[in-house]
Amino acid sequence: MPFTDIAVAIQISLIYFTIIYLTGLGGLFSERSGIVNIGLEGLMVIGTVTGAFGARFFTDTLELGLPWGPVLGLLFGALCGAVFAGVHAVATISFRVDHIVSGVVINLAAIGVARFLSQMFFDGQSTQSDPGGPHLTEIDIPGLSSIGGGVGRAFQNLSPIVFVAALMVIPVWYVLNRTRWGLRLRSCGENPEATRSLGVSVPLYRYQGVMLSGAFAGMSGAFLASEIIGNWREGQTLGLGFISLAALILSNWNPIRLMFFAWLFGFTVAIPLRLDEAPVINLLPPQFINMIPYFVTIVAIAGFVGRVRPPAAAGKAYEGGGGT
Amino acid sequence: MTGVDGAGGNGSPPLVVLERITKRFPGIVANDEVDLELRAGEVHALIGENGAGKSTLMRVLYGIYPHEGGRILVRGQETKIGSPRDAIALGIGMVHQHFVLVDPFTVTENIILGEEGGAVLDVDAAQERVAELAEQYAFRVAPSAVVEDLSVGEEQRVEILKALYRGVEILILDEPTAVLTPGETQDLFENLRKLREAGRTIVFISHKLDEVLQIADRITVLRRGKVVGETRPAETSKAKLAEMMVGRPVLFRLEKPRVEIGEPVLRVESLTGEGKLNGVDLEVRAGEILGIAGVEGNGQRELAESLIGLRKPTVGTISLDGQEIGGRSVGDIRNAGVAYIPEDRHEQGLVLSMTLWENAVLGRQDDAEFSSGLGVLLIRKIKALTARLVKLFDVRTRSIEVTASTLSGGNQQKLILARELETDPKLLIASQPTRGLDVGAIEFVWKQILEQKAAGRAVLLISAELDEIYALSDRIVTLYEGRITGEFAPDAAPEDIGVGMLGGATAEVA
Amino acid sequence: MAVESPPVLERPVDVPEARPEWVERFVGQLLALLASLAIAIVLGSVLIVAYGENPLQVYSSIIDGSLGSVDGFGYVLSIATPLIFSALAVCVCFKGGMFNIGVEGQYLVAMVTASWAALELDFLPGPLLVVAILIAAMLGGMAWAAIPGILKVKTGAHEVVTTIMLNLVAVSLLAWAINFPLKFTVRPEGQNVDLRTDLFSQKGLIGDIGQFFGVTPGAHLSWLLFVAIAAAIVVWFLLRRTRLGYEARAVGSSPGSARSGGVLIGSIQLRLFLISGALAGLVGMQQILADKGYLGQAYQTQLGFTGIAVAFLGQNNPIGIIFAAILWGILSRGEVSLQIGSEVPREFIIILQSILILTVVIVYQIAKRRLAARQLQRAGAAGALEDSASPGESAGPRGPESAAAEAFEPADDTGN
Repeated sequence: MPFTDIAVAIQISLIYFTIIYLTGLGGLFSERSGIVNIGLEGLMVIGTVTGAFGARFFTDTLELGLPWGPVLGLLFGALCGAVFAGVHAVATISFRVDHIVSGVVINLAAIGVARFLSQMFFDGQSTQSDPGGPHLTEIDIPGLSSIGGGVGRAFQNLSPIVFVAALMVIPVWYVLNRTRWGLRLRSCGENPEATRSLGVSVPLYRYQGVMLSGAFAGMSGAFLASEIIGNWREGQTLGLGFISLAALILSNWNPIRLMFFAWLFGFTVAIPLRLDEAPVINLLPPQFINMIPYFVTIVAIAGFVGRVRPPAAAGKAYEGGGGT
Repeated sequence: MTGVDGAGGNGSPPLVVLERITKRFPGIVANDEVDLELRAGEVHALIGENGAGKSTLMRVLYGIYPHEGGRILVRGQETKIGSPRDAIALGIGMVHQHFVLVDPFTVTENIILGEEGGAVLDVDAAQERVAELAEQYAFRVAPSAVVEDLSVGEEQRVEILKALYRGVEILILDEPTAVLTPGETQDLFENLRKLREAGRTIVFISHKLDEVLQIADRITVLRRGKVVGETRPAETSKAKLAEMMVGRPVLFRLEKPRVEIGEPVLRVESLTGEGKLNGVDLEVRAGEILGIAGVEGNGQRELAESLIGLRKPTVGTISLDGQEIGGRSVGDIRNAGVAYIPEDRHEQGLVLSMTLWENAVLGRQDDAEFSSGLGVLLIRKIKALTARLVKLFDVRTRSIEVTASTLSGGNQQKLILARELETDPKLLIASQPTRGLDVGAIEFVWKQILEQKAAGRAVLLISAELDEIYALSDRIVTLYEGRITGEFAPDAAPEDIGVGMLGGATAEVA
Repeated sequence: MAVESPPVLERPVDVPEARPEWVERFVGQLLALLASLAIAIVLGSVLIVAYGENPLQVYSSIIDGSLGSVDGFGYVLSIATPLIFSALAVCVCFKGGMFNIGVEGQYLVAMVTASWAALELDFLPGPLLVVAILIAAMLGGMAWAAIPGILKVKTGAHEVVTTIMLNLVAVSLLAWAINFPLKFTVRPEGQNVDLRTDLFSQKGLIGDIGQFFGVTPGAHLSWLLFVAIAAAIVVWFLLRRTRLGYEARAVGSSPGSARSGGVLIGSIQLRLFLISGALAGLVGMQQILADKGYLGQAYQTQLGFTGIAVAFLGQNNPIGIIFAAILWGILSRGEVSLQIGSEVPREFIIILQSILILTVVIVYQIAKRRLAARQLQRAGAAGALEDSASPGESAGPRGPESAAAEAFEPADDTGN
């Protein structure tokens, strides 16, 4: 048991790392521009339903086959996420609605919109689609996947998107810290007054930040539905959007640190899925094992929240007023 | 209404002409047909009371506000300045009173923001340019330093460099010396003289008449949105300027009541804590007003908050009439007889969204007089109290049911004053009590504080305005970097107090 | 020392007679609500037309289904009952400046504790048993709400993340409860075994009141409705007329000033969470005590999140919440009408409800700013009557001038 199951657990953790990291990156762009986005879960939901549809549509209906079909499906999920995030953007930026309130509305609305889209996309089924949707061919990590003793299993059969996600850190870090766009985006989140006083449009960058968060979260959801599970099902996001938020906070809004926390939480998600037989853990009733990822998140947030420093202007209505 | 012209100084044609500029806000005409001319190579002071419209006028010039009437001519051409970017393109830059710097960024990053010179950042090249610029005008600042770590004076230099980096020729400074020590102010004046020599124009918004007389070439006075006069330092005096500003001779000194000063009411020993509190020792006696002078940011806020219980000191004692109150809760300290006029009346004084009567009872809602044992508020009694206070302190309002946000600053401060003094406190802590108030309200507040003294109470006055310190204090101490650095008699010379404000060391006075 | 002045309530001549503040606010809020409703209906019509249907027909069938019959309205009120509790729970915390997004989990835990009480305490006589069950529910909700409350006060952990995580934990907790400790001892009949508790004894259930009004028992309109309305009144009284409510509102608006006034913020926040949790606990009582009579796998979810929507619809006003819940019920009931007679899918209702909340929130925001600007205008006018007028202040805390300027700054900054 031990080695193979831990290896499979690691494999699963890499998958959930991908999901959490992508969503987290989305949250990063939004929050560093100064807009708190707790609607990541809802954006992922939109990504799941549109991604599942997109994968099928582009692969089968339009007969583009692999790999273009699934890739376009993922991009479609990203696009829809970005559009849905536009609602959050308009509410918070143009109408200065409280960020948390708007985020809650996004999450609420997403459920209904997802059902609505589902019964439009999937022949009237409103809470799930048919299983067995198309997905990209899995690959193995060269080298690591051939380690003997069952350990190599951890690095086999991974969707290429896992690699894409891991490599994202490079362009994201570069754009944030070494480009004009990144400098301006960050200044919107730290001090929008200063930004504006220098003639830079704060709303412009914030809109971009929020739409990016929709794109990333949407893609993440699409990945979950089409690459991993194979179909859309209501509720399949399991709070991963909120876990991503927690990972983002703990990583101090830093894309490099986020990788670690995304993987860590990804691992905790893998535990109920694969490590329920492990020593100590198997003493718990199954429902309690399911709680582990959420429990860990709470402990982490409560324990480390004092040591993180959010973008100074995140969450504040732009004209200097705060809260409600 | 064009002002004095030509003779003495430069005869160059005006660089900027503001002609009959009018700017309205709901219910107020902030600028009423204002005319102003700015010339190259001059320091032009714009003075007036709070609310006279000086900042508004400059914000119109800088493109932050649109204007309803009049026109702007730059270098002879009529232009529309729709945004700060337009202003900067025309060579006009502004340094605001409250700095707009991004704390976690470096000096260079702050300066190049918006003017990065390319999609990809070349930090090294930018740093070099910043260093060159700083040297040219004798600004001492490190291009790679993080703004969070800078002193206030250094931050101001960054703000000015931001404008110079963009090649501005006309630099607007809004109350630049409000946050500087006398020494830093002289440094700044050096910089300004160098800029003037280089042909730049400086607009110096201030209400500090001594400084204006020192540095300005021409002075324009605004009152209630209109220009009431333009003059030169040689042709005027502080008293004349003050009279132009308010329209009547100003009371610079009130009659201080003669009171027998009693035993110490407040004793503070070695008070140390988070922020800038590094061992404060002081004492205030009954019937005495102790004035704490100092530039903001040297521990004033921390001191006031520690005394009222909003902060817990780490070391040291605070005792009121022999009773130890350091570290106790706000409620306990207030019950012991301490009242607090906070420096920020919106953050620590009033709840703006609540009605006047709700605000009037804040701090006393636990009293048996205002709430029953079960926790139900006795609203009729509260309203009666409020009506009485409002009348007594002449708080101008339609009714006591309106929210506090509808009151003007002066009336808000009066409400706070009324509420705090109603408790007959043994000790009154007044922190920047007249900030942002017009002369009439200032007079009122000063009278109330002197009344406290007359009634034999102790008053701790913390203020960044030396005028206020002089007008009210029986004894003056200076606060610098969280320590008391000097004690002075109420007639001490400002230079001496200035030395204390700098830490007591001998400072270079230019 | 008194400054001689005319009595303050004598009206200065040129300031217009003003209505009392609360009337203005109420009128403003009502108009905002109606405006949002109108906008949502119009946007919804676009969607209906896309389905090739007539909006008027669709809307009237929704209204007919909900208000056209006594039965229909009975269902509406039944749907509204738990939503009132849920929205009140959200409202209480919101007034104190906090978001309790954990109502969802709190009512799940409350259903577990209530079930325990219903099963273990059934030796109690009828009315006493009901009270005991309700108390157990409230305690369960309070306990679950205490966790994020304590975490917030002690560690500063933002309640949004902690409450949502706890919601997810609560789902598992309930699953565990009906799998182990509370599992049925008497096997339910039928092929498909619904995993659940034993049936509660009849005397523990909450009686139907619909029968007195001619409403079908299927609607399960129960006494809980009155409890809910009573709860709303109690919450109103708490917020407006007690020290706790006063301090809570101060903390929610201006924590710095509240602290300066001696208010202990942590204590207030914790107490608000506990009260909120207690209200949340009652959310699930409609389904297990009035409707089903047991706690099973197929329990109704989303009531917590819907409560947030209703709270905002009612603009976080306890009395407004009652009407908002009824409005929501009217729309929700519309799902049934749609299913019967229309091409438009029932999911349209959820979309309509989402649009409604969004527009309410936006319109309310706009209305708030307008009101603030008008107040400042009057302050400016009143200020002009002062001896030395202070039309604005450039230093220190923002005065009317800069604040008014803010209200007028263009929402979209075209600094390009």
